[in-house]
Amino acid sequence: MSFIIEGLQKAFTLILSLDQEIFRIVLFSLRVSSVAILFASIIGVPIGFLIGSKNFWGKPFVVILLNNALAIPTVVIGILVYSLISRVGPLGYFGLLYTPTAVIIGQFLLSLPIIIALTHSAIQGIDIKVRHTALTLGATEVQAALAVISEARYAVMSAVIAGFGRNIAEVGAAMMLGGNIKGSTRTMTTAITLETSKGEYGFGIALGIILLFISLSINILLSYFQSRKT
Amino acid sequence: MNKEILLQIEKVKKRYNDRVVLDIDTSTFEKGQVYAVVGPNGSGKTTLINILSLLDKPDEGKILFKGKDIWQNPKQNILNSRRKMTLVHQKPFLFQTTVFNNIAYGLKIRGIPVHQNEEKIHKALAMVGLSGFEKRNALQLSGGEAQRVVIARALAIEPEVLFLDEPTANIDLRHIDVIERIIKKINREMKTTVIFNTHDLSQAYRLADGMVSLLDGKVVPHVPENIFRGKIIHENDIQWLEITDNIRFSIIAEKKGMAYIFIDPGDIIISCVQFSSSAQNSFTGKVIRIYEQNHLIRLVVDIGVHLVCVMNKESFREMNLNIGSQACITFNASAVKCY
Repeated sequence: MSFIIEGLQKAFTLILSLDQEIFRIVLFSLRVSSVAILFASIIGVPIGFLIGSKNFWGKPFVVILLNNALAIPTVVIGILVYSLISRVGPLGYFGLLYTPTAVIIGQFLLSLPIIIALTHSAIQGIDIKVRHTALTLGATEVQAALAVISEARYAVMSAVIAGFGRNIAEVGAAMMLGGNIKGSTRTMTTAITLETSKGEYGFGIALGIILLFISLSINILLSYFQSRKT
Repeated sequence: MNKEILLQIEKVKKRYNDRVVLDIDTSTFEKGQVYAVVGPNGSGKTTLINILSLLDKPDEGKILFKGKDIWQNPKQNILNSRRKMTLVHQKPFLFQTTVFNNIAYGLKIRGIPVHQNEEKIHKALAMVGLSGFEKRNALQLSGGEAQRVVIARALAIEPEVLFLDEPTANIDLRHIDVIERIIKKINREMKTTVIFNTHDLSQAYRLADGMVSLLDGKVVPHVPENIFRGKIIHENDIQWLEITDNIRFSIIAEKKGMAYIFIDPGDIIISCVQFSSSAQNSFTGKVIRIYEQNHLIRLVVDIGVHLVCVMNKESFREMNLNIGSQACITFNASAVKCY
């Protein structure tokens, strides 16, 4: 028991003393996960919209694949990207392995299916009525599509936040693709894993508390947006 | 006086899953008039409104708006024509924002500046009797208010044709009267051509200058009163149409199997007591509704199914009929038209 209490005491000391190493890791994690979610949103929201609003051959199969992709273990994404960007892989020439870019690619692939699947279900729920209303009021196809996305804005925002949540909390891909290099690719989760294995519970707990705080803040933000109906 | 034809349908067909749901040879709609599209559920009313409002494309035939075949060159024609008309859906849909922003939508997407919008928005809201509702949350309105805001949103863009799909289907009695007065006012003051769907024939009589009566996707020459569907059976050399387990009408028909029948309300004789006659269709029922239409009294009599009968005011007074009165109705097999 005493090591937990000692760990907690050290954790709070580190947080309150604004420990540089801790905050460098936190900022790196936030930066990497934010960039990944930005690209995943730019690509995922339009794809989710198209799957949700258009009928095409094989759509049910695509939806099954998407839902399945939500549960892909992070290490599977890790090994997939690893095999592509390692020195002997087809993209090895770019030297991306163990760089922040590699972690971003991994997290992008992890959150992309979440954004596509959740946007798809949000759009499917409201599409016809909103689209028809917009068209009858004189909207072009693009304006009608924007009206649909705007009506689904809270659900789309939830999709983005859920994707960000997965990115910031994942460990497998960041570890395999980033290599957990101090000062370069060390994220909160990879740092927690390493420090705990070294017996540095205080450092691990401090990062764990910050991680929980970030996830709580995200959820509060989400609830706030969802309660704001106009 | 020849009125300008605004919309015209020519040999239009629409299929869903290989089933023809709309098959109209020709139909015209004049500028400045109010039209009701009437018919029982599933007769093709909504499909027709969707096709006329250019939301849906017919599989065959032409839709002419101001003489122009719209679907001949859709890229050029659709958006321009659609912007001259609008459709108010049966279940009003409002965007998750204020009443003002909802009404501004149609103007915004046309690139009309906000300062010009305000006046039009206030005017549209005044037209539906909701002045002062601008800042209200659209999602917190009652069903009747929402329907009026949806109509105001349609009016703000000053359409030449206003389509309304069952405008009073989902609102309470008090608001039905309000909506009907708004429809009349729009037509009178803005000279907008109004085309609406309804299953309430008395509403069609109250509001419309013209009527399109649909049955099974086809235009029929009579209004859809006393239309029933049942199975034709032969018994004792007589043909019957069985509507329910207890109700069947004697008919004369060449058809077999399932069929629609129509009984002209004018062919039904109504009496206080049953009398002997050669007519094989004789029933006793209760009067459940009475209303006046074109100087004639129309009565709905419940004989197990609802039958509409028509009589002049004098006969009605003499018979002293009221809601709940017992009435006997009689009609010949030849009065039943079979489809």
